[in-house]
Amino acid sequence: MKAVRIAWRVTCLNFRAQLEYRAEFLLMIAIGAVWQVSVIVFATVLLTRFTGMGGWDSSEVLLIPATRMLAHGLFVLVLGRMHFVGRQIQEGRIDIYLVRPMPVHRQVQLAYFPTNAIGDLTVAAGLMAGALSRSGLDWSAGRIAYLVAAVVGGMLLEAALFTAVAAAALRFPAADYWSNWLEELLGTFGSYPLNVLPRAVSGFLTYGLPLAFVAYFPAAVLTGHGHDTGVPYWLAALSPLLGALAYLGSRLLWRWSLGHYAGVNG
Amino acid sequence: MSGSIEVRGLSRTFHTTVRRPGVAGALRSLVNPERVAKHAVSDISFDVAAGELLALLGPNGAGKSTTIKMLTGILTPTSGEARVAGVVPYRERERNARNIGAVFGQRTQLWWDLPARESFAILRDIYEVPKAEHASRLREFDDLLDLSSFWDTRVRHLSLGQRVRCDLAAALLHDPPVVFLDEPTIGMDVVVKEQVREFLRHQVEERGRTVLLTTHDMTEVERLAERVVLINHGRLVLDGGLDEIRRRFGSTWQVRATLADAHFEVVPLPGIAVLSHDGPQVVFGPEGADAPTVHQALKAVIERYEVTGIAIDEADLEDVMRAAYVQAGVA
Amino acid sequence: MPAAHAWRVARVTPLGELHAPPRMTAVLLRLTVQVVLVASLWDGLYAHTGTTAGLDRDQAVTYAVLAVLASRLRELDQYTGRDTVLQHLHFGTIVYWYLRPLPPRRYYALRALGEQLYGLVWALGGYAVCVAAGAVEPPASAAVAGVFALSLLLGQWVLYYVLLVLDQLCFWTVRNNAAMMILVFAQNLLSGVYAPLWFFPDWFVTLSSFLPFQATLSVPLSLYIGRIPLSDAPAELAVQAAWVVVLALFTRFLWRRAARRVISQGG
Repeated sequence: MKAVRIAWRVTCLNFRAQLEYRAEFLLMIAIGAVWQVSVIVFATVLLTRFTGMGGWDSSEVLLIPATRMLAHGLFVLVLGRMHFVGRQIQEGRIDIYLVRPMPVHRQVQLAYFPTNAIGDLTVAAGLMAGALSRSGLDWSAGRIAYLVAAVVGGMLLEAALFTAVAAAALRFPAADYWSNWLEELLGTFGSYPLNVLPRAVSGFLTYGLPLAFVAYFPAAVLTGHGHDTGVPYWLAALSPLLGALAYLGSRLLWRWSLGHYAGVNG
Repeated sequence: MSGSIEVRGLSRTFHTTVRRPGVAGALRSLVNPERVAKHAVSDISFDVAAGELLALLGPNGAGKSTTIKMLTGILTPTSGEARVAGVVPYRERERNARNIGAVFGQRTQLWWDLPARESFAILRDIYEVPKAEHASRLREFDDLLDLSSFWDTRVRHLSLGQRVRCDLAAALLHDPPVVFLDEPTIGMDVVVKEQVREFLRHQVEERGRTVLLTTHDMTEVERLAERVVLINHGRLVLDGGLDEIRRRFGSTWQVRATLADAHFEVVPLPGIAVLSHDGPQVVFGPEGADAPTVHQALKAVIERYEVTGIAIDEADLEDVMRAAYVQAGVA
Repeated sequence: MPAAHAWRVARVTPLGELHAPPRMTAVLLRLTVQVVLVASLWDGLYAHTGTTAGLDRDQAVTYAVLAVLASRLRELDQYTGRDTVLQHLHFGTIVYWYLRPLPPRRYYALRALGEQLYGLVWALGGYAVCVAAGAVEPPASAAVAGVFALSLLLGQWVLYYVLLVLDQLCFWTVRNNAAMMILVFAQNLLSGVYAPLWFFPDWFVTLSSFLPFQATLSVPLSLYIGRIPLSDAPAELAVQAAWVVVLALFTRFLWRRAARRVISQGG
């Protein structure tokens, strides 16, 4: 309980700190608007051009980017600072965190307030609302519960991927390079039915870099395409659970890496 | 080229926004910011002769860095004037840049991803230093600072001491007559500190460079500087030699003598008071504004009395500066 | 002698990369995977479509792969070198830029030039492999190739200024990692890195025609794949050149303001 209180207080302080930089705060809001428009345009442009993508109709496809964006927005808000661990390592912040009586992971998360998450979540919520209103599916309680689980699972899976990169960066600071690429890959390939890709490539995005589990598989299960995703139906259906497991695993990896943290610059 | 520094009535005022407390306050500041003026440096004047090393002292936030920034041309003063080697730094920044070298504490100007020697090469070309001259100067610096054992290492892998030594070399490779050092030895171990001091002394005495140094390390001041300027709250408090400062703030020496004859009558000497007298044990201390230095007092006591044992307690410069800061209304 | 410092400063990036072989391996891996992914994605998208937005499958794949290669020209991990404006402001080392007899804007330009030339080597290597592998169609004619080269040059020039403006913004808004990322995303989107601008709704295309971003990539690549016919090339090149001039003046103005800001605040 005390930990929650401290986390809340630090978050409030961080939010105030964001307000300190007037120009930047206002800029972030302006940029948020650009970001919103561009993401929505980007997400819808391909859907309208390529109807019947992978055998899905466009209202069904829309569910994929909506799920991914919402999961991503939550990730940025709750766990997104994992993305910047490399920077914090290079600046020697980790060494400071290590001597404080609070888990390093939590301190990383409390490093600053993610103003941009507000924009991300607004877009994502709008996109999800659009996807649901166009959807011809029967939104039973079970379906809605599964969608919620999928969003949370997707968030945890994304967090797991970034945590794994961060754990690697603890040992090899250069690994930070990969987190930018990871963000780009998730952004560009997380929003399509992956069965349009050749088997080898979709296999890579399933078993190599498991971004298929973030939104594609759950959306496939929800829209009745769960049997032609290229993986067994039960595996696709278990995506939310896999996200949670992956996150737990990544946290163990993080803990192990932190134990082997050797610092930077001697 | 003469490397003298002239500072006349230099002042610098910053305007900052006051932050109101609380989230609501922060939001209000966002809409309606309240500005206040802060006088970082007010009306400072001093001179540094060519080939002199001057220590600019003062507690944290006294205005030392602001002063150095104005003299390096990074900051424009609100009023007053400064000349460095005949150039007004903030008016002719690039011309001034060729005359000066600067190291700002732990901030490195070296290229992070490259071996230190590559940084030297880049700077050589930026400052247009002839190759032969560059090579010979690098050899000289290597002799003094042992650079060659690590200059092929990438800067990101250097230790602090190694990096600052490289930074010092980088700042002096273009042979500037004037050098500004803002806390150059901060965080270094004693061996490296001593090496850096030796290097600086060499640069002043052998190469005739003018050095303006800020530091909190009084041993450094004692070893390097003959003259210090003390500033506080942006104002000049004192400008004088180390001796003068000792005289004004550091007359706290004591001479403890054991007299051969315990019954000898002890009388005060000029400027020397008897602080206590217990059998053969006598303690002398300074008296009045014209009190002698501890060395003069020692000599006077030995000449006047027959002593079998003698010891001195002298306030070191650290104590002196503490006294000076306190008197200047700092602490 | 002036050429000496230009050469020295320009080679900072390639030299830093050569000193870090794992980073080069990473670039190679990333480039390869990205090209394969992008090529197969567009291939897959076109599986049930003939021509859309005036682009057939080969044109779209060529465009997408070239976009990946071209964005390599200036997409290094600049933060590891600790020589970005943002980092210099953060660490307080920007003062050294203003303590040298080399004006900061020239230093910046030389660094960027070196970086872009180094990226060009990668892009050309990747291009040769992609053409040999059949993922990229060769240019339709020598004239197309020539116009493309010229347009790419102008595009990179515009890109240089666009990225410079982003960096210059750091003088006024410190600590804007997230803002930078979003701006970079917007820049990529509007210049057609993620998807050719031809696919976007009309209002979006109209909007972007008033912005400099499409001049960086969309125009040269569209010329290459023939989506912009050669007859329209002079007009497009003129627009690119106009952006170069406008942005050159604007960034010069910003450099002056930035210097004034450093000089009034002390870096």
